[in-house]
Amino acid sequence: MANITVDGKILEVKEGALLIEELLANAINIPHFCYHPALGKDGNCRMCMVEIEGQKRPQIACDTPIKHGMIVRTKGANIDRVKRSILEMELINHPVDCPICDQAGECSLQNYYMDVGLYESRLSTPKVHGQKHVDLGANVVLDQERCVLCTRCVRFTQKITKTHELGVLSRADHSVISTFPNQPLSDPYAMNVVDLCPVGALTSKDFRFHKRVWFLASEEAICNRCARGCSLYVDHHKEKYKDEMIYRYRPRFNALVNGYFICDVGRLSYHQENENRNFHPMIRGKESEYEYAEGKLLRLFKRNIGKMLLVISSSLSLEEMVRIKALAGMYDATISAYEPNRFDEHFGDDFLKHQDLSANARALPLLGIEEHCMGFSEGFEQAELIVFIGRSDIDMVKTLAYETKNIALLYGYNPPFCEGLELLLPITSHTGRAGTFINCDGIVQYSNCAITHNQGHKKLLELLAMLLGDTLNTCEEVWEETIGKLEHFQGLEFEKLKHTAQKISL
Amino acid sequence: MGIKIVKREGKSFKDRIYLPAILGGMMTTLGHFLRNLRDTSNIKTLNYPEEQPKDITSRYRGVHRLTKRDDGSVRCVACFMCATACPAECIFIEAQEREDGVDEKMPKVFTIDLLECVFCGGCVEACPCDAIRMDTGIFTFVAHKREDFLLTKDKLLSFEAKKEKA
Repeated sequence: MANITVDGKILEVKEGALLIEELLANAINIPHFCYHPALGKDGNCRMCMVEIEGQKRPQIACDTPIKHGMIVRTKGANIDRVKRSILEMELINHPVDCPICDQAGECSLQNYYMDVGLYESRLSTPKVHGQKHVDLGANVVLDQERCVLCTRCVRFTQKITKTHELGVLSRADHSVISTFPNQPLSDPYAMNVVDLCPVGALTSKDFRFHKRVWFLASEEAICNRCARGCSLYVDHHKEKYKDEMIYRYRPRFNALVNGYFICDVGRLSYHQENENRNFHPMIRGKESEYEYAEGKLLRLFKRNIGKMLLVISSSLSLEEMVRIKALAGMYDATISAYEPNRFDEHFGDDFLKHQDLSANARALPLLGIEEHCMGFSEGFEQAELIVFIGRSDIDMVKTLAYETKNIALLYGYNPPFCEGLELLLPITSHTGRAGTFINCDGIVQYSNCAITHNQGHKKLLELLAMLLGDTLNTCEEVWEETIGKLEHFQGLEFEKLKHTAQKISL
Repeated sequence: MGIKIVKREGKSFKDRIYLPAILGGMMTTLGHFLRNLRDTSNIKTLNYPEEQPKDITSRYRGVHRLTKRDDGSVRCVACFMCATACPAECIFIEAQEREDGVDEKMPKVFTIDLLECVFCGGCVEACPCDAIRMDTGIFTFVAHKREDFLLTKDKLLSFEAKKEKA
């Protein structure tokens, strides 16, 4: 440990650590482009200048190891003058086209310029122009003019994905980020460079021009695309006279799970949340009122006591699984979470993507829920009513006696077909309800994203409470009543879980 | 606090028959009538709509228009500054990629709901490209249906600035 003085305040920091790390950790605003905690220092942008007592010139905070007794100044006329000069240099060839730039509103260059900018150009020669729209591949579009050459994207492909697809081409004013000829950006994590880019040089083709960022509201959620369960921000907005729309997923830093990154497949999986949402309850192929269909569900359950198979998705939240187990006990039903298509070996890799596509299958053995084919077949033989919850792969029973059994479907997305169903009852989709998920390494995370849509579909927990005849409608209540008392979840506190992921042993 | 007693007027016989006051009023009307009969140029009222107001200045905030570039294409780049500044949230924009090489971005949809607009001029102030102006001088907007008050991009582009009289 070392003590340093920053702007007259004494901080206790790690000896030998990078100065910028500790300053940022102590919430001291240090402008920077090239430094990123995941990519380390590079020292090329010179934006993070601070004054250190005893040094002749201002120093970059990202390449200065901390020594005991250092006296650092991050504010003041001197350092502002240095920052202003660096910003002036960055903007010599910058097109200043913020009105058409997607980054506007979350752009480091814009923010720093608002703080210490010069606000008038001293340039008498014309700007060097670059290409405005270079398709790098993998949904990434490069604007060469806006680039500040911090090389975060280049270092990402060098250090993180090790695919080495990007490099800096040419010299001086004409330097540009580029891919190699005929080798477009193609790794499955490529879209992270859009988040990494501190300016508007790299933008996402998927998000481009869809929404200005200042309209977006962010919710904290968990990706449900695979067993990794990466932490996400869900950026959504409800336009006037329209319904809620999700515009993008962004990675949320989580040291235990995904660090600063997510995979492109998970990032683009928000599309599913927007599409296929607008569907109505159906009773035997006829559209129905939601309340009536709810009543029908209850009637179906009461009529088939002891003759039911609940086929649940292993991507349901922990709370929902616990409640379904209670439901099975009450109506004497069999539960099966058997999923023939749960694993995809081609999807998994050694970084974030996991071959297990189930968001919460780790909870099944903890709760004692059957997940094997045998149990499914046995339950299927005896059942007269089969209720699919959170999944729509009715195909797997279609070949078996589809005609003779009644099938009900509770699902958050528009199912591929609904003919021959006794009941189809829409529930809210993944981002429409909060819940707890256990990832492949036993990390328990709470997804706190419950976006309300116009259709008014109910959450699965609410329907389960209706069937069970009690009032445990929220995750909090379910934790208090049941989960908190379970053996495997003894040490967990729900309040703490809301903000920080916690590990349990599987 | 003291109480101030106010004497009630209108209790006298002269006040209660009203006629003297009515006649007094009629005399004023007759005076104006005779004066206007002699000289019509000073009459304060207009024979609207045959007669149109002449005091609409260039700074008057009338119905909006979208300005054009020198080549006649839309100047707006769909930056949403106007929609952000709008207190009535009556500007509806959808952006799209611009393919003609003039610029990168342009509005696919640009609609102003005149029934919601409060004509504050915030959008004109906010525009970084001078793409929206309220200088058409149109101060009345008549339509038969609510939908007709939604000014689309084409309609907004078709308006011209009000010509100043030399």
